[in-house]
Amino acid sequence: MLVNPTWMKESNRYARTCVMLYNINKKIKSDSGVKGELDMSLVAARIPEIQLQNVEMRYQTDTADVLALHQVSLDIAKGEFVSLLGPSGCGKTTLLRLMADLITPTGGDVTVAGKSAREARLAQKYGIVFQSPVLYDWRKVKHNITLPLELMGVKKSIREDKALELLDLVGLQGFADKYPWQLSGGMQQRVAIARALSMEPEILLMDEPFSALDEFTRERLNEELLSVWNKVQSTIVFVTHSIPESIFLSDRVFVLSPHPGRLSAIVDIPLPRPRTAEMRNSPQFFELIAHIRDSFEGV
Amino acid sequence: MESNTTVRDIPFIASSGKEAATAPITSTNNEITTDPDKRRSPRRPSKWLNPGVILPLLAGVLFLILWEVQVFHKLFDLKKYQLPLPSAIAEAIRDHFSLLLSYTGYTLTEAVVGMLIGSACGLLIALAATAWPRWGGGSLTLVAALNAVPIVALAPIMNLWFGDGIGSRAAIVTATTMAAMAINAYKGMAAVDPLALDLMHSYAAGKPAVFRYLRIQNSLPYVFTALKINATASMIGAIVGEFFFSSRGLGYLLSNSIKVAKMPLGWSCIVLAAIAGVLFYLIVERLEKVFIKWHSSQRS
Amino acid sequence: MRDRVLPLFVWIFGLLVVWEAVSWWLLNVAKTPLAQSKLPYVHEVAATLWKYSGTLLKEGGATFGNAGVGFLIGAVAGVVLAVLMSLSKTIEQLAFPYAVASQMIPILGLAPIIYGIVRDEQVSRIIISGYITFFPVALNMLRGLRSVDLPAVELMHSYAAKPWAVYWKLRFPAALPGLFSGLKIAAPLAVTGAILVELMGAQHGIGVIMLRNLYYGPSHTYMFWSTVLVGALLGMASYWLMSLVERLVAPWQPEFRPKGGSR
Repeated sequence: MLVNPTWMKESNRYARTCVMLYNINKKIKSDSGVKGELDMSLVAARIPEIQLQNVEMRYQTDTADVLALHQVSLDIAKGEFVSLLGPSGCGKTTLLRLMADLITPTGGDVTVAGKSAREARLAQKYGIVFQSPVLYDWRKVKHNITLPLELMGVKKSIREDKALELLDLVGLQGFADKYPWQLSGGMQQRVAIARALSMEPEILLMDEPFSALDEFTRERLNEELLSVWNKVQSTIVFVTHSIPESIFLSDRVFVLSPHPGRLSAIVDIPLPRPRTAEMRNSPQFFELIAHIRDSFEGV
Repeated sequence: MESNTTVRDIPFIASSGKEAATAPITSTNNEITTDPDKRRSPRRPSKWLNPGVILPLLAGVLFLILWEVQVFHKLFDLKKYQLPLPSAIAEAIRDHFSLLLSYTGYTLTEAVVGMLIGSACGLLIALAATAWPRWGGGSLTLVAALNAVPIVALAPIMNLWFGDGIGSRAAIVTATTMAAMAINAYKGMAAVDPLALDLMHSYAAGKPAVFRYLRIQNSLPYVFTALKINATASMIGAIVGEFFFSSRGLGYLLSNSIKVAKMPLGWSCIVLAAIAGVLFYLIVERLEKVFIKWHSSQRS
Repeated sequence: MRDRVLPLFVWIFGLLVVWEAVSWWLLNVAKTPLAQSKLPYVHEVAATLWKYSGTLLKEGGATFGNAGVGFLIGAVAGVVLAVLMSLSKTIEQLAFPYAVASQMIPILGLAPIIYGIVRDEQVSRIIISGYITFFPVALNMLRGLRSVDLPAVELMHSYAAKPWAVYWKLRFPAALPGLFSGLKIAAPLAVTGAILVELMGAQHGIGVIMLRNLYYGPSHTYMFWSTVLVGALLGMASYWLMSLVERLVAPWQPEFRPKGGSR
């Protein structure tokens, strides 16, 4: 991570938040006895890419008033990989959709890349990957990938080059001219990731992208996602209900609990990078799993 | 099977017709809300103030008024003897009410008889095609091809075979309703959950038992879809059949009135045919509700 | 492939054999009056079809052409109405009940009335064919436009796509299967409508020679049956044509994928 002095000045207020987070972390760690250190200078140097302040989300259904999210405040730093983890109904997907400006909160502020969520969407600051690949059946793989570029009016030759480059990145060389149905579920999801990366976004929002895949495919794609992240250096917000997946991928895990949906813990993942498949079997990994599981039971 | 697709899609029309007929207010509005920003607003205060009812009603009344004050006549340069006024049509209905009623009954009889025979034949073909897929499948294709044959070409032949009584129209209707039933029922019997089929096998159930406990039950929603399609198709078949070789019925009266330039009477035939067609459809739909309470399309 | 084609050919062949046999039986054993009119020999009909193929082709072409023009106009109007209904709730509320009701009404019954109003065979053929095409196309196209699932729309929303782009890149392609099922329902109906008008009085078309040969009586029975067959073939051809166009325009649909193998 770069340490840029001008950023440090700007992010005074952010530093305070970080101290707060640090305290929370320290508390969690002292509670559970997990060893881990937070490098303060490093955290303070990060500027917030996504910031949520007192966000509240209410739904009106025919029968009841549902409070989906209650007073959620969080910061995600530039270049960070964070997971939103929780059981179904905890509002983790809602939270992601707020960041994507697919829904508007009923209270609080959402700031994405220094702009309001809406402006960030209009400026194409993020790419999004849904639970299902959402590929358009009538488009070949390469044309699915270049869809956002097409909408932005990028020239065709540039688009085609970009598609090939991205297919290379996600390990799907030679599939450019196939139709989506000719690909397996895992491959389709990789196409969806390539599509999300096509306009080189600062942020990647991923809503349980691998939850429909089998365990083996999922673990392989986890590793591939990290290597892609390593190359593109974007901020990733990853929604999941799998504790091991969140630990393996993330720098930090935001633990959410339901009724009403709220942020109940933030857990640092001190596993070194680059992460390897062997780490899944390390004692530290299991300790983290136990720790996060505890934080659910405490709720 | 290529021809499968002809009838495969007709159910939509039938089912949407069903929705609109039973609950025109809610179902026409229940599109997926595609705009994620849109929140669902609390529902209407009164059923009759709903635009879903008011708007088409108003439009219909407006249309009739414009017609009555001869706006269309001026617009398209038509004479009153070409396009009779609604009041004249209403008068024709009043004047010939008993005749029209008996002819409607006659035409409806042809339609119902033909539809029952045709649907029964279609069902048998579907059963055969399901039981012996390799050889029965060919019959499905042939029946689907029959579906594309213009009804009007059938009329003279059926007339030769069955004379000019009810029989020939019933035969036309039979021919036109067979395909929809055969293809839909086949789809219903074939589209059985493979696991449900495995369950039957685990019970060591033979072919007849699989049909009795599983396939026929499973095909019922499809069968009723076909019956609804056929309700409409049978009215068309009967009326068109009467155009050429008949001395009774709405179709006969219709084409005859046009020939002797009694336009209002011709129009009154159309009005009655429309009413009969809708009634027939609604009755079939009512039966569907009685017979398949368990199906998801019947849950609110 | 062979598994399906072979039984079909056996069926067709068997049907023709039974036809020929019954025809012979009616003529020589049962000695029914007008036996050849009721069920003529297949070989005689085939010979007539061959002999008069020029005339039949020309008149059939006239029918097909008129039906086609009406069909195209009706289809375009149907698509436009469907798009309007998908864009505006008011238009939908106005038109949808009538579109649905029109499906329950014997539309073809209108043929004599329209002929009575227009008194022009060309125009009334086109109007009837267009009218018959209009509603199935509009309803199925509307269903297609609506069939787009929410995540696909959200994806467009996340790209900040303009409304026209959402239609052009997403809703229209997604609606193509619906549109084609409407077109495939409507195409044989349009041909039927055109023939119906011809039977009521026209100069050209397969319906005209059908009627003429019917009135000439038993001596023209083979020609009459030939016209019936041509009419049937026109109906089927219109359907096949639509299926072909569908394969070319929207080849990605599940039905067109090779079975087995990939799964």
